[in-house]
Amino acid sequence: MSIAKDSVGLELIGLNKILGGRTIIENLDLSVKKGEMVSLLGPSGCGKTTTLRMIAGFLIPEAGKVILAGKDVTTLGPDKRPSAMVFQNYALWPHMTVFKNIAYPLKIRKLAKSEIEKRVHDALGLVNLMHHKDSRPSQISGGEQQRVALARALVQEPDILLLDEPLSNLDAKLRVKVREDIRDLQRRLGITTVIVTHDQDEALSISDRIAVMNDGRIEQFSTPQALYDEPATEYVANFIGSLNRFTGNFAEGRIQTGDNVVGIRPEDVLFSSHQVPGSHAATVDLVVPRGHFFEVYLSSNDQKIRAFMSADIPQVGDAGFVRISKALIYKDGKLVKVA
Amino acid sequence: MSHSANKLNIQTNSWLVRIFLSAFIGFMGLFILGPLFWLAIRAFVTEWTFPNLLPDGLTMRWWRVIADDGSLLEAIKNSLIISPIVVLISAAICLPAAYAFSRYEFLGRKTFLIGIFAANAFPKIGLFASIATLFYTLNLMGTILGIIIIQVLGTVIFMTWIPAAAFSAVPRNLEDAARDAGASKLRVFWDITLRLAMPGILVALVMSFLAAFDEAQGTYLVGVPTIYTMPTKMYALVLNYPVQISAVFSLLLAIPSVILISLARKQIIGGQLAEGFQIK
Amino acid sequence: MSKSKEVTVGDSLAVKKTARLSPLGFFMALPPVLVILFFIGGPILLAFSFTLGFTTGPNEIVALIGQEIYTKTNWWGTLEAYKSVFSDSRFPGNLKATLEITFVATTLVIVLALGMAIYQRIIGGRLATILVALSLVPLFVPVVISAFAIRTFYDGTGFFKTIFYHFGLTFPTLTMTNNAVTIGVIWTSLPFAILMISSGLQSVPDALIETAQDAGAGFMRIIATVMIPLAFVPIVIATTFTAIGIMGSFTIPYFLGANQPTMLGVEISNFFGPYNRPQHSIVMAFVIFVAASGIGFFYIWANVRSAKQSGRI
Repeated sequence: MSIAKDSVGLELIGLNKILGGRTIIENLDLSVKKGEMVSLLGPSGCGKTTTLRMIAGFLIPEAGKVILAGKDVTTLGPDKRPSAMVFQNYALWPHMTVFKNIAYPLKIRKLAKSEIEKRVHDALGLVNLMHHKDSRPSQISGGEQQRVALARALVQEPDILLLDEPLSNLDAKLRVKVREDIRDLQRRLGITTVIVTHDQDEALSISDRIAVMNDGRIEQFSTPQALYDEPATEYVANFIGSLNRFTGNFAEGRIQTGDNVVGIRPEDVLFSSHQVPGSHAATVDLVVPRGHFFEVYLSSNDQKIRAFMSADIPQVGDAGFVRISKALIYKDGKLVKVA
Repeated sequence: MSHSANKLNIQTNSWLVRIFLSAFIGFMGLFILGPLFWLAIRAFVTEWTFPNLLPDGLTMRWWRVIADDGSLLEAIKNSLIISPIVVLISAAICLPAAYAFSRYEFLGRKTFLIGIFAANAFPKIGLFASIATLFYTLNLMGTILGIIIIQVLGTVIFMTWIPAAAFSAVPRNLEDAARDAGASKLRVFWDITLRLAMPGILVALVMSFLAAFDEAQGTYLVGVPTIYTMPTKMYALVLNYPVQISAVFSLLLAIPSVILISLARKQIIGGQLAEGFQIK
Repeated sequence: MSKSKEVTVGDSLAVKKTARLSPLGFFMALPPVLVILFFIGGPILLAFSFTLGFTTGPNEIVALIGQEIYTKTNWWGTLEAYKSVFSDSRFPGNLKATLEITFVATTLVIVLALGMAIYQRIIGGRLATILVALSLVPLFVPVVISAFAIRTFYDGTGFFKTIFYHFGLTFPTLTMTNNAVTIGVIWTSLPFAILMISSGLQSVPDALIETAQDAGAGFMRIIATVMIPLAFVPIVIATTFTAIGIMGSFTIPYFLGANQPTMLGVEISNFFGPYNRPQHSIVMAFVIFVAASGIGFFYIWANVRSAKQSGRI
């Protein structure tokens, strides 16, 4: 997949990073299009924050290149890069008011006072915080602090916006709202964005593309849909969404002995009281309500399998038939077949 | 996590505890404040004959004696000139070191820290006796420079440890954020690090000023009889002048301390001082 | 797996841990260390050699001025000066007085400070605030003044003398006794101990105290098993600095103490000045230094222990 040079927002080529004698990032490539929103998704310690800090300039890679908006910035310090970052704990300066926090990057750039005033006001308007412009960071709520941090990044009109776990300090309800706000802003401004998160929901709901990271490498880099439907590796399949995992082969609609790994999404497990071609007898062991759907635990031929159902929920002990509509088959951790 | 709201619901058996506590506060009040008032009154009385409960009369005469006595004014002048110089020199020497202790890993870091502490464990008076030898050799006895050096020595521990702890307490991501906003390293230090460490540095400056201003033993050894500062003059006053003069002088001597500590009171009580005394 | 664990802690920490030894840091830290080496370390070493009878070189002038100077007899020196000090009939009394005052006053200071700080932490309220504010007053007062004020307060025409007289009672004159010295050093040492200990106790999270309460622990048990262990390092720091400060004190015993026995701080000054026996004076300084180093070791041990516990080492 080659992209025209001018439409590339960020390019990482062969990045290597060693910290404390350990290789944290190994030969990492990533290409983000202009205006695209990309998530780096992975468990803690997979190297996603390290990668972000290399993009921002806080870490210099041992090998490889960081190219921002067509410019090689690999060895430039964070102050010299056209990137702006929103930190996990927002990192607002407690000794400055909200206004001064946002104005600081512009003051550094020695803009005229009137220009600073105008741009800060625009940024404040963008995140709906005009009424708090003279407050101190300690006087406003976590969600508001987050928006100030965002405004402080946006006011720089960066070529790329970097977000480090921006929602992890917010409560669950607020998180959904703020992530939608962020997505909305990002679309409106058309700003290239890289967001680091360990929360798959967050990544799936706001990204154009997601890079799933594991152990310093990118396991898969594709759209949320592709990631979910055809996880390229067993690791990704496990990490994204729910999975019934078996060792064996998949044939004739059921698991047979074998040495591959078969992954089945619970929503691809269909249970009904009627037998259809390809289905097998099964009984219901347990039904767990999960809000808008039910998690149903089934036994079929000594095999346990979970299904997500939202209608015609069976009762514990019911007998019926189970059919697998889709299975992912992995060999040595790599996807070999979708059945 | 609210450390400030320290009211826990632990019940105490009310009135007995209250009586004991009130008595204790009364005792502490007398113990701490008693001597100070007892002395302060004397700055304004003519005589106080034992065992009368009241002084014989009130007067401002003793203050005039001080104002008219050139040698006493000279001591005040010396103190007010020397102490700020000491603080400036100490800051210039120690603040970069405090930053280094807080932010860099280097050979001998722990040894340096412990060395600064050990230097403080040697009894001052013995140290001054030892330093005298060196000062004779370097011709520093009876010089302002000698006094400055002696006083700087007493400030090093405050000026290194307290700011070091203050620098360490500045969250790194606040500095990173400023770097990201386009500020150079120097600018980040100036706008963010120094600014946020300021309360701790302020405490260090105040404590150092007082350590220098109040230093008497070494200053006496090095300066007397050529140069007197306020505290060393006190030694002489106590022996040679009426107690009322010493009282007036004491009040004068206490003024800078009271002003400075009142200014930095919040930071000192807020733990900046305590924080500095833990080796990290 | 272990790799991922390392990074979890946060990159900034990882960076700090792996940071190369910084020559810049070394040179920035050097000035105060050099000042101390030159003006404290050097003189102390010189002084030590002087006590061993090295009377030439930089020690020559002191040796010339002073009386009763012992000169080295072996290549390593001589212990005659030490023998002379230790065999002086007044020395054991002075040493005993010094250690006694240090011990009694330090104990009282720490008990008082702990009591007030714990009261402030657990119960709080206006009375506690007044109490702590009161105890910080000595911080505002230069030592010379404190010494002089306490001297006047407890002397033959002092406050208690006056009051008691009117009730037909006689209050003892404390000034010029070692009880007055103990009162004086407690007075001057209290603020630092309070600051250290109360800041240590403030950082014990409420949750931990409440959990202990919830588990059924009583007031005393919470103090003994939660608060004191968690504020252990600040308490040790308060104790060691108080003890070291008291042991080497000069101004307070000089103004308040008896002529004999007196604290070694005063005796050092007497022997250096009026008695003109500099070698003896410095021998005594080393006696205090050795004792203070013992206490200082405790301080360093506590700091290292806490650093280990929090994983900094």
